[in-house]
Order: sequence, then structure tokens, then C-alpha cells
Amino acid sequence: MSDAPVLQVEGLVKHFPIHGGLLQRQVGAVRAVDGVTFSIRRGETLGLVGESGCGKSTIGKVVLKLIEPTAGKIVLAGEDVTALKPGTMWTHRRRIQTIFQDPYSSMNPRLPSGTIVGEPLENFGIAKGAARDDRVAQLFRRVGLRPEAMRKYAHEFSGGQRQRLGIAKALSVNPDVIVADEPVSALDVSVQAQVLNLLIDLQEEYGLAYLFISHDLAVMRHISHRIAVMYLGRIVELTDKRTLFTQPLHPYTEALLSAATAPDPKRRRQRKRIVQGDVPSPAKPPPGCHFHTRCLYATAECKVTAPPLLEVAPGHHVACLRRPVGGDPGLLSIPG
Amino acid sequence: MSGTPGAILEVRDLHTQFSTLDGVVRAVDGVSFDVARGETLGIVGESGCGKSVTAMSILRLIPPETGRIAAGSIKFEGEELTTLSEEEMKRLRGHRISMIFQEPMTSLNPVLTVGTQIAENVVRHLGVSWKQGRERAFEMLDLVRIADARRRLDEYPHQLSGGMRQRVMIAMALSCDPQVLIADEPTTALDVTIQAQILDLMIELKEKTGTAIVLITHDLGVVAETTERVVVMYAGRKVEQATVEQLFEEPLHPYTRGLMRAIPRLDVEADAAGTRPRLQEIPGLVPILTQPIVGCAFAPRCGFATDRCRSERPPLVDAGAGHLVACWELDRVRRTA
Repeated sequence: MSDAPVLQVEGLVKHFPIHGGLLQRQVGAVRAVDGVTFSIRRGETLGLVGESGCGKSTIGKVVLKLIEPTAGKIVLAGEDVTALKPGTMWTHRRRIQTIFQDPYSSMNPRLPSGTIVGEPLENFGIAKGAARDDRVAQLFRRVGLRPEAMRKYAHEFSGGQRQRLGIAKALSVNPDVIVADEPVSALDVSVQAQVLNLLIDLQEEYGLAYLFISHDLAVMRHISHRIAVMYLGRIVELTDKRTLFTQPLHPYTEALLSAATAPDPKRRRQRKRIVQGDVPSPAKPPPGCHFHTRCLYATAECKVTAPPLLEVAPGHHVACLRRPVGGDPGLLSIPG
Repeated sequence: MSGTPGAILEVRDLHTQFSTLDGVVRAVDGVSFDVARGETLGIVGESGCGKSVTAMSILRLIPPETGRIAAGSIKFEGEELTTLSEEEMKRLRGHRISMIFQEPMTSLNPVLTVGTQIAENVVRHLGVSWKQGRERAFEMLDLVRIADARRRLDEYPHQLSGGMRQRVMIAMALSCDPQVLIADEPTTALDVTIQAQILDLMIELKEKTGTAIVLITHDLGVVAETTERVVVMYAGRKVEQATVEQLFEEPLHPYTRGLMRAIPRLDVEADAAGTRPRLQEIPGLVPILTQPIVGCAFAPRCGFATDRCRSERPPLVDAGAGHLVACWELDRVRRTA
């Protein structure tokens, strides 16, 4: 893992306008992403975890420049790509690719899979004709598909195989960064293991950086090096995986961990769920700390002041007013 | 075969098949199990293993245009369900056997208030007045801990969050005090913190009302935390059945073992260097169910498979203390850690 970040995101904001009334004027905004900063190094996986509506998928789309940010800065391999228009952004797309949850919906049903995987090679002028076919066959083998399958159509593959196709396509242009948005959520457990193992192998082989988006904490723990926990458009905690699971500092992280199920019947009786209620709407997030409505430790100040994301220990960032810098990690331990 | 004492639901040698252009799909291929009064039975397996079709068969919701229960028996409180008329089934469903599904929005009527929908069920099955039905709806919403239940009665499904909709479904399903609740992936579409709340609620209500729950899921974590007994299905067949403690303590079928090793674990520490232990893959794919499966359905993907596994279907045997497993190579599997 090298130290230079291959992707840097600073103060990223994405608001979606809400129109209403007779004249369809803007009456509000969904604050999908509300000031998010992080970076990813070569060969590193940064996990973005959070529940529906926390903005994790929107971050993925903004970073890919599939949608324009409202504010903030995106630096890809040292180059500021924030303001680039589609025409100029295009040349940078070689560096950043994506894998979707449902690869099927991103594949032309009328094209053979080999053509789908080889398309980026032609688009970016990397290879064509026989050279392209060789490269595609190589990619097929690398992701565990038989090169003869190049003639088959997307519908002829199983879910796991389609995800392999999606990975092959993303890999074809030798990207630096891959944004993977819930890439294994739709897969069965036995197939999920195959795809996760493949992603890890490819990362080690090519030094890929992953922005890995998922709601599944166990998958996160398996694949990520560092994890950012998001709640209603903001990062509430960001640290290395080990620290996050053994010494979570934000009450929301604790709540998420307490809610996760584990395949061990002995644990169920000891479990103490520590979160109630629903996630509020991102169109009307609560003032102050967004989590205060569900937080066991919220004080009057939490209702008015939005806590900044502070580095409380080397590499461990937390946004909680009750978490003093360098403070006692036992402060927020769960009572009882 | 006689049922377990106290069994409220007895499924025997169930075969459910669908006619497709590719041939007959044997979605459920000879499955038997009992549900005891007041227990939580988990049915676990991956896509296409037949777990949902089993549930649909019990409820007689298999679309008659394409599918049918080809053989077998389903007895509820001693009464044979497979031969009941649709009218008789309608009197049973939502009353003595009820169900909740994965996506509550597709089960709720978008143009009726939730109060009306719950009251409708109560009025139809219990023959009470509309006013009493409404009152019951209020009690049920309150029971599933929907805050401000009186006001929520008059809201439409789209005004509720996903977690609240699933609470409404549970309220409706339990509104006529059913003996059995069949829950098909009830929390799969929900966020983690909401899933935890719904699972806790289901277990709490089960203890309060004595309703038996058949919980169908692909999620071993959900099974471990909520069920008492578990049936593991693969390719339309039951391959293992045990108490939840037995199953997670010593899974005996190679498929169950494979599943447990394939899931990333939240509760397992990485080693000091933080290296990721490799997940164990189950090689290959599930069999195509349009072709008759000779021998053990898992044999092509199984490291223990022998010629016998590929030619003879293994019977379910008791491996001790009621732990049933269908595997010819049980002794070898047991000796392998």
C-alpha cells in the first residue's frame, strides 16, 4: 500500500432539489451528501457503510462524476476532476471504474458478453480486433470464466458469473480505483464468497483501490482496510477496520454493531439492542447532530450543534460532541 | 408416519412442481417436517432451494396455471390442507395460519388506510362489528409498538417507513390470533437497525401469543438469533434438521458446513496482522431442477462425494439426539474438522 492517495474527496456536498407548489419552485433539498472528506490509497479498500438514505451510493455516483457535486472537491490520481465537463472527464474515466449491485441491468442484452467486456478497450483506443479479443479472453480467464463463454449473452450467465463479467469489464482499462456499490448483496452466500475472494485477489495483483459501498457489516469487516460509517449524509466515524469493530466510539456505530446478527445462537441472549426508531428523512434531517433523535447519550447541545469530524486518536475520526479529543474510550461504553 | 406429539403443522413428503418451457421444475422434491405449537422453526437455504415454494404450498398459494402440489400431505391441526377447497382455504388464511412477506408494500393495499386493512381481516374472520374491528386494529398497532397508533390507523401505507409497514403486516397477521405465522424473509428488505427491532418484536410477540413461527430466510445470522429448530434445504430437498444449537455447534451436512464457512463473520477476530482469512468457496453451481437428480443433489459440489453419492439418494438419518442429516458419508464428514 503506497501512501499517496489515489482518490481524495474534500468537503463533498450533493443536494437534490425538491420542487413543489404551483410553479414548481424549489421548496427544499434532500441533503444526500453533506460535507464528506476522505481519501483512498493505492491497494486500499475504504468501506462506506450505513443504512438506506445515508448517502453512500450518492457518494459513489458523484465520485464517478455520473452526477455533479453541489460543492466540494474530487482529486483523482493527483488531478482535480471536480469541474471537468463530460467531454474532458471522459479521458479520466479510465482511472475510475465501477461495479454495480445488479450487473445485468448494466449489460446490453443483445450483445455477446465478450463484446460487452471488450467495449471499453475500443472506446479508449486500447486494443481492437484480434488484440482486443486476446485481452478479453485473458480477462475472462482472470475472473474465472471460460473464454468460450465470450459468445454467450448476459442472460445465459448465473448471477455470480454476471458479477464476474462486470468485474472483467471494470478491469479491462486498468483502472486505479473501482467503486463497488453493493457488489455482492444480490448474491447467494456461496457465490458471494467466490466474488469477495476474487476482488481481494485482484486488489493484491493490480494494486487497485476500492471504494466499497455496503450495508453489510460482516462483508465490510472482511474486505475493507478502513471503514467510514455514514448517517444521513455525514461521516460519523472513520477508522481502520480493527478499531472500528473493537473500539467503536460513535454511538451510531455502536448501535449498528449491536443490531447486526451473528451466526451463533449463544450470542442472542447476551445481546442488547441499543437503537430504536427509524432513520429520519434526509429531506428533513434533525438539526444539530443528525443522530440525536435516536442516541442514548444525546444532550441538549447535541440538538443544536453539529459535531465536527475530529481525529481523536491517530487515524481515528469521530463526529460526536461527547467524545473529547484523546478522551477516555470508556466514556461512551454501553451502560449495563 | 405419525407426527411429533404437539405438532400443529405436519408436512409429509411434499412434492411441488412447476411446468415451464424447459420442462417440469421440481421445486420441492419430497420434504417432510413438523412445526410444534409455539415454536420457531427456521427454513434456511439459498435461492431456488424451495424454501419459499414450501411456504406457498402450505398456504396453497401456488399459482394453478403453472404449478401444483404433485404429491404429499400437509396437515394443520390434523386437517388435510392439500384437498381443501379454495373457499375453505380462504377461511384459514389470515386467520388460523397467516403470513408476512419480504416486501410489505406489495402486500398492503395502497388505497386503503392501514386501520381499514387490519379491521377488514378481523371482521371477515371473526365476524365482529366494524367498530370492534377498528378497535382490534388499534390494539394490534399498539402491540407492535407503532407510536401514536390511534392516528396511524387513518394513514395509508405510503405514509409509513419500511420498518413501520412491516410492523403493520405483523399486526395484521396476528390480528386473529393465528396458530401458525409463516414469515418469508420478513426482514431482508430492511436496514440492519430496523431488522433487529422487527426480529425482537416477532420473538416477543410469539412468546406472548403462543403463535408458532415458520421463519424462511437465507440469512444464517437471523436463523441463529431467532429460531429454535432449523431445516436446511438444498435443491428442493431437506438435507439437515437440528435444534439451532446443534446445527451451529456441529453442522453435519457438507452443504451446511460449506455455507457456514462461506460467510464473512462479524464475530471472528482477524489475526494480529489484520490479514483477512480467506472465505471458503463452495465450488460450482446449484443443480438445474428440470432434470431429475440422481443421488445426492449436493454431490457434484461436495468434497466428500463418492460413486454411491452420485447414484443413490441418501436417506435422512438420525445422527444423534434428533439431529437429522441426509449424507452417505456422515462418518467421514464427522471425523473431518
